[in-house]
Amino acid sequence: MDNRPILEADKLTKRYEDGVLALNSVSFSVRGGEIFAMLGANGAGKTTAINLFLNFVEPTSGEARIDGIPTHREPLEAKKRVAYVSENVMLYPNFTALQNLDYFARLGGKTAYTADDYRAALGRVGLSEDVHRKKLRGFSKGMRQKCGIAIAILKDAPAILLDEPTSGLDPQAAYEFQGLLGALRSEGKAILMSTHDIFRAKEIADTVGIMKNGELVMQKSSTELAGEDLEKIYMTYMAGHTN
Amino acid sequence: MFKLIVEKELREIIGSMKFAVTFGISSLLLVLTFYVGARNYQVSAEQNETARRENLRKLEGLTDWGEVQNFRVYLPPQPVSSLVMGISNDIGRTSDIRGAGEINARDSKYGEDPVYAVFRFLDLDFIFQIVLSLFAILFAYDAVNGEKERGTLRLTLANAVPRSTYIAGKIAGSFLALAVPLLVPILLGALLLLAMGIPMAGSDWTRFALIVAAGYLYFGVFLSLSLFVSSATEKSSTSFLVLLVVWIFSVMIIPRTAVLLAGRAVDVPTVDQLVSQKSRYSASLWQEQRKTMADWRAPSDTPMDKVFPEFEKFMAGIDAERTEKMNAYGQRLNEERSNAQAVQERFAFGLARVSPSAVFSLLTTSVAATGVHLKDEYKLQALQYQKQYAEFFKGKTGRNPSGSFMFRMTTDDDQKEKKKINTAEMPAFAFVQPPIAAALGPVIMDFGILALFNIVFFAGAFVAFLRFDAR
Repeated sequence: MDNRPILEADKLTKRYEDGVLALNSVSFSVRGGEIFAMLGANGAGKTTAINLFLNFVEPTSGEARIDGIPTHREPLEAKKRVAYVSENVMLYPNFTALQNLDYFARLGGKTAYTADDYRAALGRVGLSEDVHRKKLRGFSKGMRQKCGIAIAILKDAPAILLDEPTSGLDPQAAYEFQGLLGALRSEGKAILMSTHDIFRAKEIADTVGIMKNGELVMQKSSTELAGEDLEKIYMTYMAGHTN
Repeated sequence: MFKLIVEKELREIIGSMKFAVTFGISSLLLVLTFYVGARNYQVSAEQNETARRENLRKLEGLTDWGEVQNFRVYLPPQPVSSLVMGISNDIGRTSDIRGAGEINARDSKYGEDPVYAVFRFLDLDFIFQIVLSLFAILFAYDAVNGEKERGTLRLTLANAVPRSTYIAGKIAGSFLALAVPLLVPILLGALLLLAMGIPMAGSDWTRFALIVAAGYLYFGVFLSLSLFVSSATEKSSTSFLVLLVVWIFSVMIIPRTAVLLAGRAVDVPTVDQLVSQKSRYSASLWQEQRKTMADWRAPSDTPMDKVFPEFEKFMAGIDAERTEKMNAYGQRLNEERSNAQAVQERFAFGLARVSPSAVFSLLTTSVAATGVHLKDEYKLQALQYQKQYAEFFKGKTGRNPSGSFMFRMTTDDDQKEKKKINTAEMPAFAFVQPPIAAALGPVIMDFGILALFNIVFFAGAFVAFLRFDAR
């Protein structure tokens, strides 16, 4: 398994035009076969960090690297090496699940897939065959989320960015999603996930980071967190009472 | 990558219910336009032929060409002008040919049947200018910001997709998805023209092809404009509102304002003012000539039977002199008015060309030869015919036609059976549509302006999308 850092934030800073400091010198790395969970309140800077990795915004200073490639210098090269699943996966409603997968897979540079590959990916995320040819218009949020993950799987990139992927999912779907993440980790993917779900973060993440006001105020491995109450730690950081 | 995005656009647009409904309505309107145009042509051609025959029938039975007071000519309908009507329904379609003097066109279609003037006719100019431009806006107003709102843009740009390729693919895909299917009703319409027996000559098909090409360029303007606005605004509701305002200004406000401003800036004497000036001049000439006429005496040694011919000769001389002076004066006034009109027209159309709709309208009417010059062209050809008619008349009667004073003497010999005049000998008036080459300058310029609008809006969409905040 590839164990080198795939996702790296190096003193990553972002100050918006209106003066808001969204991210202040944040540094972390995610290796292959590792899940990094970013916790934090709304506006803490989690999504900004993901946006910087996707080059949706340019860093004010520092850099985000994917597989060693600085995203703001070589965005297209960097994007070839990352898959992304948003909080609320929205695909083309007039396309079927298979058509959406085909389009996004080809957009991600995978042109050799067959319909069987798409069906296998959808099956892997738990979408039964009877909905494969249905238009996305009628899909629930959970089903769309599964399609989004299938797209990420098909891209077969070394890094995966997940922006609050379990938000709005029912417990069953969230549990299945956790299983999928575990499988992707064992395939050697470096996974960066922003989430509000403390329980899920502790369950699955190899490293947990807490973001507050644009800063990474805590970063602990699962070993360090073993036996600790993550929720309590989180609340303490949020209240600003840290040792 | 480009091909993939184009394919996606095609599939997304053509597979939508919005497309099915709007395309269905647009297709129906297009085919209906061709049908209405063809029917109008048939009816107008029939009316024209009936009127022409009636005109000749009135001359039947006459035995002396001198009895022919005047002859009426008609502006016949043209196949392509039935599809792009321009001002053809507003101007007079008949003129009396007296053999001399000015030609006036009267009996316009709208004058005869005002009900048509209220909402105007359905023609290709209207369909492209109003319906299809809105069709383009309706499909592209949210092409970029709508994708952001729906969340698909983030997912797309999370891949290694160059923004330039993406926007170019979107524009090409939208154009292909919307424009190519429209060829079907257009071709159906063309077949309908053939099926209804409209005599489309080769040059008519060329004009038709140019009108369709102009329509597509115009459609492209609103499509690329919509993409531009969609890339420059955050919300699709904002871009729709902006586009609606731009559309209203382009179609309704700018062309009318341009004409109003030109009317204020360049003073053109009205026809009534000209008539009044001519009438005053004619009256003054009459006063001058009255004295000469009163002083006329036949030489004392003139035998009685020669007095009348002498008087007629004298009157013909006076008449010719007055006609010559009136013509010169009228020509000068007309020329001054026409020059002022040309300046006003240049000013109005120059200003109006800020609007793509005005450019399209000017372009199609130039190609269909139904623009502002149709009336002048008709009058010019009628004047040329009048000269022919005058020569013919003089050849038959030995006199200039339309002399204001004409005395006829009849003798007992005249009671004998006389041979009827043969109306077939009269020169026939045939309106010849000016060739496209005659309007080549403005046509090329307007094609160029529409192409420029496309390029500018495309570049705008391109630049705006490169800066678009996809978060």
